[in-house]
Amino acid sequence: MSEQTPGNHNQNGEGAGAGTMKPGYHNTDGQGIAGHGSFFQATDLSKEDAIKATDWVRKHVDRRTVDLGDRMDDVREHMYELEKDGQIIIHRIEDQHEPMSVKTLFGWDKKVPTKQLWHHKSCGQCGNIPGYPTSLLWFMNKFGFEPGKDYLDETDQTSCTAWNYHGSGIGNVESLAAVFLRNFHQAYVSGKQHGHELGHFYPLVHCGTSFGNYKEIRKYLVESAELREKVTKILGKLGRLVDGKLVIPEEVIHYSEWVHVMRNRIASELQTIDVSNIRTTAHVACHYYKMVHEDAVYDPSVLGGNRTAIITSTAQALGAQVIDYSTWYDCCGFGFRHIISEREFTRSFTMDRKIRVAREEANADVMLANDTGCVTTMDKNQWIGKAHNQNFQIPIMAEVQFAALACGADPFKIVQLQWHASPCEDLVEKMGISWDEAKKTFQEYLKEVEAGNIEYLYNPELAYGGKV
Amino acid sequence: MQQIFDDIRGDFRYDHELNGCLNCGICTATCPSAQFYDYSPREIVQLLWTENVEQIYDAMQEKIWACAQCMTCAARCPFKNSPGGLVAIMREVAIKHEMQSAKDVLRPFGRVMLKLITTGNQLSPDMIQPDHFPDWGPNIQKVEGDLRILRKAIPVKTLQTVETAWEVSLKTSVEMYTIWEMTGVLKSLELMDENLFDVIEDFIDEKREDYEDWLEEQEEEDDE
Repeated sequence: MSEQTPGNHNQNGEGAGAGTMKPGYHNTDGQGIAGHGSFFQATDLSKEDAIKATDWVRKHVDRRTVDLGDRMDDVREHMYELEKDGQIIIHRIEDQHEPMSVKTLFGWDKKVPTKQLWHHKSCGQCGNIPGYPTSLLWFMNKFGFEPGKDYLDETDQTSCTAWNYHGSGIGNVESLAAVFLRNFHQAYVSGKQHGHELGHFYPLVHCGTSFGNYKEIRKYLVESAELREKVTKILGKLGRLVDGKLVIPEEVIHYSEWVHVMRNRIASELQTIDVSNIRTTAHVACHYYKMVHEDAVYDPSVLGGNRTAIITSTAQALGAQVIDYSTWYDCCGFGFRHIISEREFTRSFTMDRKIRVAREEANADVMLANDTGCVTTMDKNQWIGKAHNQNFQIPIMAEVQFAALACGADPFKIVQLQWHASPCEDLVEKMGISWDEAKKTFQEYLKEVEAGNIEYLYNPELAYGGKV
Repeated sequence: MQQIFDDIRGDFRYDHELNGCLNCGICTATCPSAQFYDYSPREIVQLLWTENVEQIYDAMQEKIWACAQCMTCAARCPFKNSPGGLVAIMREVAIKHEMQSAKDVLRPFGRVMLKLITTGNQLSPDMIQPDHFPDWGPNIQKVEGDLRILRKAIPVKTLQTVETAWEVSLKTSVEMYTIWEMTGVLKSLELMDENLFDVIEDFIDEKREDYEDWLEEQEEEDDE
């Protein structure tokens, strides 16, 4: 096991000074490494000074420090001012949405609506890991939510388009803003065709990339009158203004925040399977808690508040073992463009920095994530590791899928694990569910599907605007 | 070259993303791409901060495409810089100036762009097949059954599709096309890949006609 385990970060100062790093680490000759540029020079710190420097990093960077300085404005305050000036309409979270309050990194209160939700789907999840949205809808049904009243899933929405933007640079702030406002306008008016008031449904964003992108774009919209003017023209042409104004949501809510606030109800009302023998590790999407990081949810009862609370909090509530690991802060290696066209980067990074570490340090039974890119990257890239004698494997899924399993959901029909390339079978068996039985039942069900006898979580007509 | 730098600096996000640099290197220390490429977020910040136009141009030839856009650098920076955000601006400017690096790098990304711009989705089940990702191994689907039937077995109506991640209404797609046109996205695409642009334009024309036909049908139904 590496010396660089949590709580024991390189305490002997090894690696300080030129030429002292061990093989396997970089900088073996002290002459600079790829990535530092030609001007890089080794610091030649003494061991003591290196420890001091590392301590500073540990205190201020590795661990959470709350920065409540004046430099960071609360974007919501500016939104309220713009609304008062008659410039925008805020889609508010009202009592009817039955919100629960959480704290964010900066200590701000954030309201998380629990009901009347408009499912803003993720193109990656739906196309690739459909067990995310199905598990989420399954939970809503389990809580007695009425489709068409307490939640809505419809076809009138696009992806946020940010994957393409971050991958290719094709797109711009104006296009991202127009897409954001178009989709959220649709969420605002979507209840009308079902006989509800404007704002009845509140958007619940499934994708980490969308979540980060929308918050960043909202900030630019609030700050820039020029941008607002430009997109107002576009939204006007689309017929997507309300009283001539842009509609902007009070909060941008990620699905894992919904799971976070519902975790205790999930555990106390719905859980049927004891998961105390399951070792879980968490990987939180970068665009969840690094982009617009002041807004990410933290809770002092979750790993001392040094990690964002979501995912881990759910594993805790379900009673699973939560195991921390040293590369928790690393991204998965998705890289937007990289997973398509620089796959050697993506698979090397995910194998070296995530899968191997979760396996060797944490001996994890499962890695839980909350974003399509992360699950795809870590799930799909394990097989090729064998080519380099990297025989590290670990099941990867979203926390909502794991929670659904713990609550007795069918691993195939609901949790849709048949789309995962990682080895989910052992985990399912360890939870006391028979993979083989479930697979047999599902194969039988596929024959029914072929015959047109399809099971739905809600009335399919609702997807096209039909009545309940 | 000066124009390229001026365009970067002229982006309204520039002042958000660059506030000075202590050269502490936290950004590079935690950057995934820095571990694999000759790429350093610190270098990007330093180049822009010191306004070395030639080196900025050189960095745009290759280095900026290494960034994984994870924004770890931005979350860590004590000065609240965002090297990843600066890279996003530089990529847009590289496209605007038709830099060859952008054309080369983005060619393999064409399929995703085609899907996105024409359907408003980015990833579809028919793209996640062993032929396209042989390195993902044989277990892309763990059960037997063709893709169409497996998708029909998802108990959510909007997801029972193969060519898009979820079923997207025609109206939605047509609204997207208006956004692409009015915000210059199609123009950018034309600069990067004229053939792809032509394919997309034909597709858009066809979909718009379908939508017009549908609207007419609706009107006729209403009249009856």
